[in-house]
Amino acid sequence: MVKVYTIQSCPWCAKVKRFLKSKDVEFEELDLEKDPAAREACKKMTGMDWAVPATTIDGVNYVLDYDKEALDKLLCL
Amino acid sequence: MKERIHKDVVIIGAGMAGLTAALYCGRMNLDTLVLENGLIGGQIANATDIENYPGFVSVRGGDLISTIQTQAENFGAVIDEFDEIEKVSLKTSPKIIETQERIYEADVVIIASGMNRRKLPLPEEKKFSGRGVHYCELCDGHAYDGKIIAVAGGGNAAVDAANFLTKYAKKLYLIHRSELRADDFSQKRLRANEKVTIMLQTDIKALRGDKRLEEVEVFDKKSGETKTLSIDGIFVNIGVEPNTQLFKDELTLTASGRIPAGEDCKTEIAGVFAAGDVREKEIRQLTTAAADGTTAALLAEKYLSKLKETDLNG
Repeated sequence: MVKVYTIQSCPWCAKVKRFLKSKDVEFEELDLEKDPAAREACKKMTGMDWAVPATTIDGVNYVLDYDKEALDKLLCL
Repeated sequence: MKERIHKDVVIIGAGMAGLTAALYCGRMNLDTLVLENGLIGGQIANATDIENYPGFVSVRGGDLISTIQTQAENFGAVIDEFDEIEKVSLKTSPKIIETQERIYEADVVIIASGMNRRKLPLPEEKKFSGRGVHYCELCDGHAYDGKIIAVAGGGNAAVDAANFLTKYAKKLYLIHRSELRADDFSQKRLRANEKVTIMLQTDIKALRGDKRLEEVEVFDKKSGETKTLSIDGIFVNIGVEPNTQLFKDELTLTASGRIPAGEDCKTEIAGVFAAGDVREKEIRQLTTAAADGTTAALLAEKYLSKLKETDLNG
């Protein structure tokens, strides 16, 4: 399952979610403000605190921000 | 082979001008497409509190733009925010907009591509981008709760960003190369905050750090003194530049890179309009962007009516 780490106020997070929906990609949204474990997991994966939006499938490879080309590649779209 | 699709109007850019034009075009039953490859809302999408748009005491940029987007879509305008424009041919009839996925043929093009934030002009910018150098307060401000933040810039966007970031920062430096240009209201609010140090006539000379930003070197032009500030992050708001690269071979641009067009938003090419911050003009506000979007849409409809009359009369 694709995971997207977000915070509510971030407009790029909203864009990544809309992009995934437009491609019919099912994903789980993890809000770092509401979920301390998700915040830790995202920090461990990216090496940065509050690095959003971060999209991953395996918790290792990830795409930061809205980068269409990188998201296409990561998700094999 | 790419699909070819005809549209009455293609609007390039979904900021205030583009969305207002879309709302009006949709309401006039014109087959309207808006192409946007950044954020819907453009610069306002990142704005925290807008207090000078009539009808709202204070509104978040994202909320305001989302309402206008809904209005435009309710009137039938379609917004595509994922397909990127590769090239445009505006002098042909119809005008051609080729994206990664399709080729659009449009009778009218409204250019409302707005402005992009200028990057910090230092060689280390790339190394620290996302690792201490940021351009979106709403996205990245959270990361600096209880930390030391700098904001680069002195216009309204910079001072508003600084005011917003004081809710996270334990200490905030506003660094600007000349004097503040932000409105008095925002300046007063910032100056009243004891966490804030305003450094004017100060250039940022270098960014330093190992894996992420740790220090900035600044030069005080008044005293001639060089200082090193320990900071955790810097938010850059040093101005914007017009997003007109796509049109430089099609339209004459002004020295500032904007599109010359009068209050009627008409460019040198019939059926091509420029609206919002991308148009060369003295005042660039949300309200004037909305006015441009309105003007461009209404005159686009007149142009289309004449075009149809001409076609009918052979």
